[in-house]
Amino acid sequence: MKRKHRIVRAWSEVRSREQVAEETFWLELTAPGIAAQAAPGQFVMIGFGATSWGSPFLPRPNSIAAVRGDVIGLLVRVYGAGSRRLSALRPGDSILTLGPLGSRYEIGDATSVLCVAGGVGLAPFLLLPNWAKGVGKPVDIRLLYGERTGKAVFNQEKIRKLSGLDAEVWTEDGSVGRRGRVTEGLVLEDVDLVLTCGPTPMLKTVRNMTRDAGVPCQIAVEEHMACGMGTCIGCVIETVDPETGLEGYSLVCVDGPVFSAERLRW
Amino acid sequence: MVSLEQQVFGVTFQNPVLLASGTCGYGEEYAEIIGVDDLGGMVTKAVTPEPRVGNPPTRVSETPGGMINAIGLANVGLERFKSEKLPWLRENLSRAQVLVNVAGWSVGDFVTVVSGLDDEDGFIGYEINVSCPNVEGGTMFGTDEASLAQLVRALRSATERPLIVKLAPNVPDIGIFAEICEENGADGLSTINTFPGMVIDVEARRPVIGNVTGGISGPAIRPMGVHATWVAASRTSLPVIGIGGICNARDVLEYVLAGASLVQIGTAMFVDPFTAPQTIEGLCEICDRQGVRKISELVGALEV
Repeated sequence: MKRKHRIVRAWSEVRSREQVAEETFWLELTAPGIAAQAAPGQFVMIGFGATSWGSPFLPRPNSIAAVRGDVIGLLVRVYGAGSRRLSALRPGDSILTLGPLGSRYEIGDATSVLCVAGGVGLAPFLLLPNWAKGVGKPVDIRLLYGERTGKAVFNQEKIRKLSGLDAEVWTEDGSVGRRGRVTEGLVLEDVDLVLTCGPTPMLKTVRNMTRDAGVPCQIAVEEHMACGMGTCIGCVIETVDPETGLEGYSLVCVDGPVFSAERLRW
Repeated sequence: MVSLEQQVFGVTFQNPVLLASGTCGYGEEYAEIIGVDDLGGMVTKAVTPEPRVGNPPTRVSETPGGMINAIGLANVGLERFKSEKLPWLRENLSRAQVLVNVAGWSVGDFVTVVSGLDDEDGFIGYEINVSCPNVEGGTMFGTDEASLAQLVRALRSATERPLIVKLAPNVPDIGIFAEICEENGADGLSTINTFPGMVIDVEARRPVIGNVTGGISGPAIRPMGVHATWVAASRTSLPVIGIGGICNARDVLEYVLAGASLVQIGTAMFVDPFTAPQTIEGLCEICDRQGVRKISELVGALEV
């Protein structure tokens, strides 16, 4: 796919940082070049620059979760050294940003869209409603959002403020929202399009259910990345061309992160 | 104002900073973000006789002070390199010098690529990746003295263009391998390629990297790269290209003082694509402050 946007590299100032759930932070950065172009599904590489000592070294991909004027919002959950350091940023700190990167969700002619989010896979769906309005696509959007525990659930008032959506929350421990896996809430009647992002097992279940119901589905996937822009060829995923049947690898950073469900060889 | 020019391999490099093979694609990828033609040059992603899809994921992961990769020499192959990639390099790079990185699994593979490219314009010479297994000999070219000698000899007969051998670091004495390259007709040495390494997910009890093992790069290997550069430059009269963990101008000068005429930046470009242009600016600042008129004066100027 030929890219429509221009990649911007800049040091961006941290505007705010707020803990929004257990080990989960909402970061806002001043990044005008990225904010002006960002679409849901796209991501930014965030890093600390190439220092001679270099740890953590590589930048990390983060899905763009909000755009407000020159500011972008990111949802960061602590998994390892890189995200730990991101979560410790303070307002006024500078951070290296590269973006927007990758493919976006394409709503096309769909009028009723169901978003299925697991964990910080929530991020693109916080951006989606405002983006859709901005590009003049009147769509009815529903959001299913699952976490393992209630403690991990992103502040629901904040979800409403950012996206205008009332998320249907599912937790495996049942302490917030409905008890069970988010895919149990997947009702596909009257849905034109399913968009999903989250842990791979959840994505596979959503893929299987939408395929069986004949509903188009777009999936945002994750892979280890180094450059985020197609030079290192590091972040591959197995894909198939639905028209030719040709199998191969696609780059998650350039061809993805959003893929049509039928392209993924799961 | 310092002159960063270097006369090496029969051409002028406007500055000593090149982009390393496998970290800058075929040039085009970075062109929208940095002025690739303002660099000293670039080394293309490896070219093999046939296209390669590369290794299964996971291919990259962070390691202390750097990263591990096992891309598996994914590349478009000789014919598509000629028809799709070389034209861009030819048309867009007039000041930056281009080296084509060549990989293979037999002497014949390397000779096929070099012979297939030798009549083409758009690059000045070859960098030979010898960190590949030799399927005929059962060892790696770069860690077996006889295989390396045979490969360099065969390539020397195949081309008159500059032939630079990118040495494997995982040998007891890299000086011996540097000498073998010189004796068999190489024009230069690149020190060093990545170190073999492994990272294990202790929860899954599985290797993190799909290929099980990979190559370690980044600041963690810089002292080893500087050492290998010093050994190669001391033991041969060949120009040396220093590689490994370079993030800024000071890192470049370590390599230059150790004996490197040119350097390559690789992994740090993933961290920040501005690393290379900023390193060139940094070289000017440091040299001006130190009163260095020509960077060539600093090559091998290490006092021990």
